[in-house]
Amino acid sequence: METTEIIIKDNGTITERTIRERDLDAGKLVQEALNEAVTRTIRNVLSLPNWGLVHANAGSGDTLWSVVIGQIPLHARFRLVNGVLVPAFASDTEIEMPLVWQAPSEVRLAFVVLTEPDQDRVKIAGNWLFACDQDNRGFRLPLPNLHDDCRICTGEFPACYDTANQAVLASLEQFRKSKWNSDLMRTVERSQKFFRFQPTNESFQTLPIEASDWRSLCDKVSTDVMERVVL
Amino acid sequence: MKNITVKYGVDSITKQVPDDFTFGDLQESDMFKAALGFGDRTKALVEGIEQDRGTVIPAGATVRLETAANTKA
Repeated sequence: METTEIIIKDNGTITERTIRERDLDAGKLVQEALNEAVTRTIRNVLSLPNWGLVHANAGSGDTLWSVVIGQIPLHARFRLVNGVLVPAFASDTEIEMPLVWQAPSEVRLAFVVLTEPDQDRVKIAGNWLFACDQDNRGFRLPLPNLHDDCRICTGEFPACYDTANQAVLASLEQFRKSKWNSDLMRTVERSQKFFRFQPTNESFQTLPIEASDWRSLCDKVSTDVMERVVL
Repeated sequence: MKNITVKYGVDSITKQVPDDFTFGDLQESDMFKAALGFGDRTKALVEGIEQDRGTVIPAGATVRLETAANTKA
């Protein structure tokens, strides 16, 4: 369709303007481009025995799975200091034990798995561990094997699975059985105030964090992955 | 002087800074670090695009800081 307009400009010039319109078959392409960065949150997608609820944040090319965990398996070396067992990640001589740290209610933990489609399968693109406060601020725990952006240095394990459920479970299993060593370690002082255990006759009880505000022992983080975490 | 807004996670702050204030100045600013709680390794983004440290921040800009990933030694 073509429309012609005659315009009289302020300076008296008379101008012809022709407007040509045609419908483009590009609606789907434009819609995809506009939605490229849009993600959608879906709560309570899975419930994993021994771990907890799993929420999803689905993007156009990937899905971020947030597992709300209440504990951290700490397979590491420990040292007894004044009757309290604390991690000694860099030690070669202290006793090695698979202790489980129970998070207090004010520390909300999210174990995160990013998956991408890989032909007909699901590929793990990364694992992260975030601690969040009540206002959804993200923090890096004082742990080794965690990069500054909270990405976990997981070690090698298979990346491709038939379902997302299997991918999340495989990531958690790797997280459970991996040893915490001194890779990416900064100072152990914060770790030893955060992760404390009381040996009892039958088990090891998690002790409260030795700080008035647990966040003072962590580093605040802000990343595009953290933005998509669902708690 | 000019106003800029800086976001780090869910927190944000709007402050007046000198006209020649750069993204690098922001990333090294103890005042912004204390207010928003970011550390030494960050990247600065405007509208999702990472900015060079030497670039002057435009007046009225909203800068999003993100934690930069480190690598294993």
